[in-house]
Amino acid sequence: MTGSIAYLGYGLAAIGPGIGIGLIFAAYINGVARQPEARGMLQTIAFTGMALTEALAILGLVFAFVFKG
Amino acid sequence: MYLASVAASEGAGWPEKLPLLPHPAEMIVGVIAFAVLYWMYSTKVVPNMEKLYAQRAAAIEGGMKQAEEAQAQAQAALDSYNAQLKEARGEAARIREEARTQGTAIVEEMRGQAQAEAARITDSAHRQIEAERATAATSLRGEVGRLSTDLASKIVGESLHDEVRQKGIVERFLAELESGAITPEKVDR
Amino acid sequence: MSLTVISAQLLTSLVAEGDGSTFETPGTSDFWWPLFGGDSNWAFTRPSAVMLLTVVVLGWFFVSTSRRLALVPSKRQWLAEQTYDFVRNTIARDVIGTKDFKRFLPLLFTLFTLILLNNVAGIIPFIQYPTTSRIAFPIVLTLIVYITYHAVAIKAKGGVGKYLGSMIPPGLPGWLKPIMFVLELLTYFFVRPLTLALRLFGNMMAGHLMLLVFIIGGEYLLLHGSAPLKGAGVLSFGFSILMTAFELLIEFLQAFIFTMLTALYLADAVSEHH
Repeated sequence: MTGSIAYLGYGLAAIGPGIGIGLIFAAYINGVARQPEARGMLQTIAFTGMALTEALAILGLVFAFVFKG
Repeated sequence: MYLASVAASEGAGWPEKLPLLPHPAEMIVGVIAFAVLYWMYSTKVVPNMEKLYAQRAAAIEGGMKQAEEAQAQAQAALDSYNAQLKEARGEAARIREEARTQGTAIVEEMRGQAQAEAARITDSAHRQIEAERATAATSLRGEVGRLSTDLASKIVGESLHDEVRQKGIVERFLAELESGAITPEKVDR
Repeated sequence: MSLTVISAQLLTSLVAEGDGSTFETPGTSDFWWPLFGGDSNWAFTRPSAVMLLTVVVLGWFFVSTSRRLALVPSKRQWLAEQTYDFVRNTIARDVIGTKDFKRFLPLLFTLFTLILLNNVAGIIPFIQYPTTSRIAFPIVLTLIVYITYHAVAIKAKGGVGKYLGSMIPPGLPGWLKPIMFVLELLTYFFVRPLTLALRLFGNMMAGHLMLLVFIIGGEYLLLHGSAPLKGAGVLSFGFSILMTAFELLIEFLQAFIFTMLTALYLADAVSEHH
């Protein structure tokens, strides 16, 4: 088996942001279910949080490409 | 390591290069594509769309205004109708009242007239009867006088007419009879 | 790319390997597809052609539709209006606020429609190449957004110094201020553009690569595998169809998120305080 261990590293690095994004949207869905009229505000907050969390996964992707060879 | 790999891939050609390395020609195409589309949208699409939004909002607002006006008109019509109805009701009541009083007055008047007429008729009847009685009495008196004179003439055998007339015997007798100085045996009156 | 590229790759592999019996894993090099100019820096590539085609299609559709708009829309106008309405009301107005959103509408609408159609190009038959899986395009779009929101913020806050000053959230204890300032500076100047470009690029490339794996792998199993492996090949093709539907969702979502985050950054830029 050949390949780069960097991709394996990226897979590991994506676990944390994956859980984080799941938590953010779970909270968002909860919030909207409880207060449907607050949807617009919650959406903004949820996407800001998602952007911040996903930044970590995307940094992982960049470093996977950088360190692969 | 990143820079090293970029440097290493310099001679290798694009297929082997990092996927994270932008291709210059594609970037230029991207800029041109964005610029063209942005220009088209900002000069044509967005102003037209915004105009449509404004028109639609105006149409909806105008429609609401119209509806409000129509409602106000309907309300005014209803009010005036109600007022008219009330007025008409008052009028009708007034007319009815008037008619009733008038009717009563007419009935009163008619009754009065009828009574007066009845009284008048009765009165004239009385008067006629009285007159007739008086006439009858007068004629009867004359007749009685003549008859009695005739009778007396037959009994006496000569005409007493002139004398009776001259002396007023019959008259006097009748007056006595009326005053009750003498009572007739039978008065057929 | 998938179907057309299969035949192309099949042909090249047949020419190269003779019988094509070795399996070549699809990789990032499959995305390099020059039309003219060979492997040089100035080659005109297939994604460039797709990008220009999408601009022509979008421009024709929206300009010709918006030229004769009626209060009661036709079917075509309804489609254009729904798209515009989504960007205008759901993204721009709700995020930026009713005061400032109108001047950013062309930018946001351009971004949304361009990214959406270029993403969806990945599953349109005979095009089948998501243009945004070439990093040059996300980088260009992100650069435009990056320059715009910094320029807007500097103008709104009245100078570069005040802009940098506004990055410190009010009400912090003194010793925390420098740390927060560095973090915010990193966010505004480094993390935001990087994630904006790489999110789009990564999603599109990974999604397309996944489709490639299923289709090319299925083809290889079907042509060269033994009897039970041929069954797996059929399964692989079936799954690729399922994944195509999933890709459509991802493609729409990425266009939405890119535009949404742009609107968020712009809203941040025009706001009075942090």
